[in-house]
Amino acid sequence: MAATLSRRSVFKVLAGVVAVASGGKAQYGYAPSLAYPALKVGNINNLRDGQAVYFNYPDGSAQGVLVKLGQRAIGGVGRGRDIVAFSAACTHMGCGVQFKGGRFVCPCHYSMFDPAKAGQCYQGLASTPLPQIRLRVAQNGDLLAQGVVGLIWGRARNI
Amino acid sequence: MSYERRDQLPIPPRNATVRNTVCQYCNVGCGYKVYTWPVGTQGGLEASQNAFGVNLSAQPPIAGQTYSETMHSIVTNKDGVQYHVVIVPAKDSPINLNGDHSSRGATNAIATFSEGRATRERLKYPMLRVGDQFQVITWQEALNILCGVAKGIRDKDGNDDNIAVKAFDHGASGAGFENNYGVGSLFFKGFSVKHIAIHNRPAYNSEVWGSRERGVHELNYDASDARLADTIVLWGANTYETGSVFYTEHMLPNLRGATIPEKQQSLERNEPVEAAYMIVVDPRRTSSLTIAQTAAPGRTLHLRPNLGTDYILANAIARVIWERGYYNMQYLQNRTDMAKFEEYKAKSLKLGTPYAEFMAQASRITGVPRADIEKAADWIAKPKTGGFRRRTLTIYEKGMIWNMKNYDQIAALVQMAVLSQNIGRPGTGCGRQGGHQEGYVRPPSPTPGSIYNGGPPVNVDKYLTDGGGKLYWVIGTNPYLSTPNNQLFRKRIHERTKALTDYLGQSGEPGTTEGYVTKVLEGLEATGGLFMVVQDLYMIHTALDAHLLLPASAWGEANQTSINCNSRLLRLYEKFMDPPGEAKQDWEICKLVGLRMADLYRKDGNEAEARKFEFGKGWNKDEDVFLAGASEFPDNNIPASEEATLPAECYKGVTYAFLKQVGQQGIRTPVRMENGKPVGTLRRYSTKFGTKDGKFSWYGTDDWEGYPPEVQKYLEGDMAQKYPFWMTTGRAQVIWQTMYNDRFLPEKMLTLPLPYIELHPQDAQRLSIKSGDIVEVWNEEGNGTFMVYVTDAVKPGLIFALQYHTRGTSNSMVSGYTDPKTTIPWYKGTRVAIRKLSGGLPDVTSNTSLLAQNKFD
Repeated sequence: MAATLSRRSVFKVLAGVVAVASGGKAQYGYAPSLAYPALKVGNINNLRDGQAVYFNYPDGSAQGVLVKLGQRAIGGVGRGRDIVAFSAACTHMGCGVQFKGGRFVCPCHYSMFDPAKAGQCYQGLASTPLPQIRLRVAQNGDLLAQGVVGLIWGRARNI
Repeated sequence: MSYERRDQLPIPPRNATVRNTVCQYCNVGCGYKVYTWPVGTQGGLEASQNAFGVNLSAQPPIAGQTYSETMHSIVTNKDGVQYHVVIVPAKDSPINLNGDHSSRGATNAIATFSEGRATRERLKYPMLRVGDQFQVITWQEALNILCGVAKGIRDKDGNDDNIAVKAFDHGASGAGFENNYGVGSLFFKGFSVKHIAIHNRPAYNSEVWGSRERGVHELNYDASDARLADTIVLWGANTYETGSVFYTEHMLPNLRGATIPEKQQSLERNEPVEAAYMIVVDPRRTSSLTIAQTAAPGRTLHLRPNLGTDYILANAIARVIWERGYYNMQYLQNRTDMAKFEEYKAKSLKLGTPYAEFMAQASRITGVPRADIEKAADWIAKPKTGGFRRRTLTIYEKGMIWNMKNYDQIAALVQMAVLSQNIGRPGTGCGRQGGHQEGYVRPPSPTPGSIYNGGPPVNVDKYLTDGGGKLYWVIGTNPYLSTPNNQLFRKRIHERTKALTDYLGQSGEPGTTEGYVTKVLEGLEATGGLFMVVQDLYMIHTALDAHLLLPASAWGEANQTSINCNSRLLRLYEKFMDPPGEAKQDWEICKLVGLRMADLYRKDGNEAEARKFEFGKGWNKDEDVFLAGASEFPDNNIPASEEATLPAECYKGVTYAFLKQVGQQGIRTPVRMENGKPVGTLRRYSTKFGTKDGKFSWYGTDDWEGYPPEVQKYLEGDMAQKYPFWMTTGRAQVIWQTMYNDRFLPEKMLTLPLPYIELHPQDAQRLSIKSGDIVEVWNEEGNGTFMVYVTDAVKPGLIFALQYHTRGTSNSMVSGYTDPKTTIPWYKGTRVAIRKLSGGLPDVTSNTSLLAQNKFD
């Protein structure tokens, strides 16, 4: 069910622009400050506690990861407020983080991030939390990604 | 709750100004590039459109340019123009290979001063306490008051005994050779101060006289040695958290076997090479250990000595090395003092005690099984197939330095390394990891060495808390968090400074400079009080009791030079912005104080004294001070074989122009001159040690004598019941030192909002304490409140406390004991009681991660 899309096709399935760059702070990029696509990244009925689902967002070259933690999380959606999504690129040097034992671990230099605490880097060399991908639950249970709070590693602009 | 995040950053345009610098924080000294350009323009995402020369829409992991949210800020210079400042890891540094960087260095940009960010809290102007408030004054007024008080004290006393100082003596962190020389010149050339203590301890001393007096300076290896070693020993050093990039770029690749090609290229022909082994000697299961266990299963060894017993353990490993013949007698005879070796054999190796009995004793004292001690000796010293000598790099830090019996601890360790010939060869060394970087150059200081060499130095904390001193001048350090027996220290200094404040007036205070100075001088005599001066970046905890505040300028606000610890790499840290308000470099403040003192003496007709204070007359720019400092070093026109005769930081012959030319490659001190050109030293002591005869000077360590009375009292009778936990202390990855900058950064304060302790799950269950609870920790010395992490990092019955945090210090519970040989405190061992505070702080537990920081698999 993970959506794999190229950068171009993301914009074809774009359900609506949910954030618009405007206002004073936007010029320095306080997130979300860009016109992010809304994109289905899963369905709430298909998630199991402790399982990670990888997808691409906001475009085909950025990997995101969706997890249902089974415990309330900052920014969580769903009945238990326990479903969260993040950029999967470690904010230290861009390696793909792995979801193990309820947290994200980077295999390169061992930064670790807490998905229940807005992606906080509680150990390691990364200086910022994992960028959190905002989620919305549609009536049919579809999970829609609709913005990224935080800068995706390797980019100077998320989109 | 989180905090404002960013999803786009301004892009440095191709014409942005690029400067080289080095991180202001830890011992590693990662190289950084600073890009600045006026606000209003920016570059583009394409490689051809930006100053990085890389595509910023999607870079490949690791190979790309890290530009994180914390690496950008906007500053306003004195010309009124706003500039973007981007500080990113350099790609051409021999230290932070691959553009690696830590969570400390990544925040260099957001720690810059701005009126628009929390760093607006920087001190901008001199300030004088009037009653219970600080009022802004001019520099001229501040100098008149300070020099008036200092001269008044000298005139009355006829000496400088009552002028007490606590000052930084290190590199980076806004210090460097320039500011060290400024401070040293003021107090050792102008004044002749003997009551002076270093930033993090109560006296003016080396933390490693136990090594230096053997002929081994503590910075003797190169970062590349961690890539070439067969075995890496981390002894009381948690490098992953306190020297992160040294661990990830130099140790971890070796553990993973990624440096085997380098070994094949650099080491001897046919020498067997493989991935490294790692021995961690630490009472905790540190992240440095558990990462190694994850990355190199089966090639790690953890020794967990009882607190204070490390020197017994080092001697026991050395005894095994001796018994198993893992030494090279020819080397010992050629390179070490064999007369003194007899004392070492008798007292440290205790060859008079049969091996089995000796090992049983060592095991009983240290709590480390004999088999592990023997395994450690094999890993450190057992020759490799073909008779090749093993290459072991031993890195130690505060776990050894701030241990009980500082001198013997350090001596035992360096002797273990020399016995196994593990100094001066590629892949070897025995030295400090370091906390901060270094940059020491000063006129001769009052204490030459340990008790064996003209010491021990005076305990200035004790001098002050016992009522000594009239002027207390604190520069670039925060003793209200960092000094031992902290609660007593704070209470006494507060009492003494307040006594003077109260004397100055029930309500109104003298309104003229002369009247104020006269009243201060009178008050000092009448009350036994203290006049306290704090020279710093911020209104630190200590400043709250000061009378006079002097604003210092920081890293990036002037050109500075320092060396790092893992390679003694000297580089230029280029100025990229102006200081806030009227803040000045410490060297300039010292120069101005000196010149004002000279004026006062000249008015008295005392020309000789005036001249002493004019040390800084010719200092107009940073490089003038750097070059003046070089005059303290001896002649360095010497061959490479004589490098051991030079001070470790000797940079004579180096100029800013030279450093600009070599950029991130820098030059390794000690620097020698060859044919008029500066030449660096990759690795020390390959041919001689740093003693008069060039031979390593052995020493016989003391026997185990138990704990000092300050701690032993907690192990007896009722006290043992009342204070059932051992407490050790240390640092954490997330924050830097006293958090002087970090407390203004949300990335830091949300992740580590409170000082904390680590508690073993068994103890936690017994006391009904869980992660996130708030506890009081106390003993007869002091009290503190801490957040709890329940973790297997500690053993049952032992807690680890973060040494200090802007919201509290575990040094309150630390005793006033210091090693009688060196006056170095034992910060890392005492006994405490713990109780859970009823209720909790839901805001903390809902925003701060409580996950295990040492579990990576």
